Amino acid sequence: MEAGAAAGKLTKRTHSERRLGWLLCAPAVVAMLLVTAYPIGYAIVLSVQEVDLRFPEEGGWVGLSNYESVLTSGLWWQDLFNTLFITVISVALELALGMVIALIMYRAIFGRGIVRTAVLIPYGIVTVVAAFSWFYAFNPDTGFVNQLPLIADDKAWFGERFSSFAVIIMAEVWKTTPFMALLLLAGLTTIDDGLYEAAKVDGASAWQRFWRITLPLMKPAILVALLFRTLDAFRIFDTIFIMTRGAQDTESVSILGFNQLISRLNLGLGSAVSVLIFLCVLIIAYLFVRGLGVRMAEGRPGT
Amino acid sequence: MTLVAVLGAGALLVGCTGSDDEAGAGTELTFFIFNEPSGAYQEAATKCSQESNGQYHITFEFLPASADAQREQLVRRLGAEDDTIDIVGMDIIWTAEFANAGFVEPWSDADAQAVTENVFDSVVESATYEDTLYAAPFTSNTQLLWYRKDRVQQPPRTWDEMIAEAERIGPAEGLIQVQANRYEGFTVLATAMIESAGAQILAGPTEVALEQAPTERALEVLGQFARSPVAPPDIDTSTEDTARLSFEAGGSSFMLNYPFVYPSASENAPDVFEQMGSALYPRIDADKPSRPPLGGIHLGVSAYSNNKDLTFEAIKCLVQPDNQITAATLGGLPPVREDLYGTKELDKAYPGFSDLIKRSIDNAAPRPLTPAYTDVSLAIQRSLHPPGDIDPQDVGSVYDDLYDAVDKAVQREGLF
Amino acid sequence: MERNSREYALWSIGMLLVLLFALIPVIWIISLSLKTPATITEGTTFWDRFIPQDITFDNYTALFEGGIDESPFIAPLINSILIASITTVIAIVLASFAAYAIARLDFPGKALILAGALAIAMFPAISTIGPLFDMWRAIGLYDTYAGLIIPYLSFSLPLAIYTLVAFFREIPWDLEDAASVDGATPFQAFRKVIVPLAAPGVFTAAILVFIFAWNDFLFAISLTSSDASRTVPAALAFFTGESQFTQPTGNIAAAAVIVTVPIIIFVLFFQRRIVSGLTAGAVKG
Repeated sequence: MEAGAAAGKLTKRTHSERRLGWLLCAPAVVAMLLVTAYPIGYAIVLSVQEVDLRFPEEGGWVGLSNYESVLTSGLWWQDLFNTLFITVISVALELALGMVIALIMYRAIFGRGIVRTAVLIPYGIVTVVAAFSWFYAFNPDTGFVNQLPLIADDKAWFGERFSSFAVIIMAEVWKTTPFMALLLLAGLTTIDDGLYEAAKVDGASAWQRFWRITLPLMKPAILVALLFRTLDAFRIFDTIFIMTRGAQDTESVSILGFNQLISRLNLGLGSAVSVLIFLCVLIIAYLFVRGLGVRMAEGRPGT
Repeated sequence: MTLVAVLGAGALLVGCTGSDDEAGAGTELTFFIFNEPSGAYQEAATKCSQESNGQYHITFEFLPASADAQREQLVRRLGAEDDTIDIVGMDIIWTAEFANAGFVEPWSDADAQAVTENVFDSVVESATYEDTLYAAPFTSNTQLLWYRKDRVQQPPRTWDEMIAEAERIGPAEGLIQVQANRYEGFTVLATAMIESAGAQILAGPTEVALEQAPTERALEVLGQFARSPVAPPDIDTSTEDTARLSFEAGGSSFMLNYPFVYPSASENAPDVFEQMGSALYPRIDADKPSRPPLGGIHLGVSAYSNNKDLTFEAIKCLVQPDNQITAATLGGLPPVREDLYGTKELDKAYPGFSDLIKRSIDNAAPRPLTPAYTDVSLAIQRSLHPPGDIDPQDVGSVYDDLYDAVDKAVQREGLF
Repeated sequence: MERNSREYALWSIGMLLVLLFALIPVIWIISLSLKTPATITEGTTFWDRFIPQDITFDNYTALFEGGIDESPFIAPLINSILIASITTVIAIVLASFAAYAIARLDFPGKALILAGALAIAMFPAISTIGPLFDMWRAIGLYDTYAGLIIPYLSFSLPLAIYTLVAFFREIPWDLEDAASVDGATPFQAFRKVIVPLAAPGVFTAAILVFIFAWNDFLFAISLTSSDASRTVPAALAFFTGESQFTQPTGNIAAAAVIVTVPIIIFVLFFQRRIVSGLTAGAVKG
């Protein structure tokens, strides 16, 4: 009798918990889908058609031939490599640098507010202007970088592939490390100081404390930071476009997509490129979530 | 959510009342064009609105400053059959594309006659598609060879002469400024060189020309220039503006650029300005006249406008000779009518080189006239950029690449 | 003692380097904004180029010329501030509800919502512009605040939700129960225990959403057509130099400097909240 009553109550509670859960999520879900469901669906539909705004009398179903065009083009694979190259290097640098900056912001001795604010300023500057200012800084006629010792006065940074990559990556790292640092800082604050005290008492060194306590407990924050930053890095556009327009083999897949979609108005091809970019990013996200082993949908481990 | 709706509605209202404020009689015609800094276009529009005697008044809706961004905005709207556009301010290279897509209306023979009277042939050609006029020529533009009178005795006639002269002066002061970033400006340069060598890019909207011998000759000169010590160090990212800045900084003796550099130098670099001379765009071979680049703005009637007849009228007024003179004197924009050169207003606007401009536009070669123009332009950029990669001793392989790329482009195949 | 002062020195040097790294390019942008078109190529040494020789404030005054109606900058600035703020408030509210549900409650579809949110954030926005433009024109949201706020919400909610879920997961929710056992009302428990623990995540998410909406260019330039709703990044594309080919570098740099000031204020205000997380006393009940 008691067991039965208890079982009944459980289901009712689960029921109301479910309803509450959906209710709370509903506004966010609606807001997200409202704007994106139709456009994303439309883009996918476009990608299997032959649609060119400049030739309205053409059009029609072409199956996967747009995808075939993209995947058999050397240009796609070249740009994919460029994109991955920039993504991997810049994200790695941002993670390392971001961690250092987060630690510094956390343990700031003086002027906490100023340091933390100053660090976030690069992230707040309009991307296009930031890219322009880096471009101007490295330009032989208007910039100051070539005037530094050890650098030739007429060095053409954007005339070669790897020096272009260097500037692009520097600009990206400068601009978005604060994003990482912010998330990592917030992650740091969730760690109970008491754990450190206990570890110190046990004789653990600073490095050990960092490696064994800080990092593991920061996993969720690291995951969010890495995930979103990589997704954004993969879709890099403005910085490259303004600095080299993709010349010297620095073109990214987003620029490729832009060329087909906006410059050529070939909506079919351009949408195919977009869908492919999406799939690549999906794979990366999957690898991250799997790799870091954090199950976001689960509640607190142990509850 | 209600908060958002209220704010949205409020903003909508604010947006709506804005246009009612226009003090003007008659139908409102909206002119979509970039914000020309000198205000010459606005003046022309005000004048025409007044002259219309209450039939219409022209209001402006400004587009972004860069040509690519303008095209993006226009295409988005015209593609969506937006009826708020009446007068379309078009870069001359969009004519075939807009015409074929049905974005702009063709001009009747009578109206076409009216707006192309005394207009340069090259300019009319750039406004025509399939033997019909699709836009009225408004203002033109071309490039001259600017040089330092204190360093160069006689302006060179050919590229080879120019490079030799520059090398004689030395890279510290003898650089030759061009536009060779991977963008439309580079297509302008490449096309001008190929056409000056005697070849054509396209023989028809879907047919490649690129005659081998002259094209290879042009590529040879381009490669030679890009590899010479007098090519600017930032050549691969050079634009009209960086070329101007570099020339004004003093380390260059030659520059290929539009006439806007003249008033700019007088304001920003008076000591360079004093020594600035101008000449015709250099030839590839001494026996063939050069074919300078052609730029400019045409005015088209939007196919989705609700006031097409009035729009035709308005445009016919806007391109009148006195408005063209205003554009020249205020904004330094070359007129499209031949008979306006030699007037004293133009001599004031272009002291000493108004005849050069006239001859340049006369001889200019429009860029390829095809609806797939952006494809072709991208193809040219991809095959020829960076110009330093062109080996003057072995232009055959570059030629082949260029031919193949342009061929694919006119068929609109493949990725660019 | 010796170790402490060495640590102190190390951290101080670290801080200084970080400050330099962050601020040198910013100073460069300020420097660009103070240069005249004539002096932008002047100078042949590092200091000549880095610090303007002829300082001018014309680039700044030009932005405000003409008052709110004619200035190319004032209306967009107001639009940016309002749109970003409204987006942030709504996004945080919606994301908090969702994140609370996902972190605390158990219901089917959690993983799906998270995966879906991620998918939305990942899709290249450039492909969605065309259909969005058509949609907005049909409904009448084109060139309005709502027309921008809604897409901003859609594309920033995923990040906000993920950030908040990551933090809400770490909150020991049973503290709330413990507090009620101690005699606090549910509301008091929520306010005194949960809110301080949730604060870091919430303010972090707020900053990220604000900056996303503030910096966006793509939607701003495609879904607006006048100063009624155009934001600053899009307005920059309309700045003209002396001729159609001249880049208005000084004006753009000046605009960027001014536009960063609200960010600085916003961050300065919120950064303290981020680190006021767990303090020993509150946790160990």
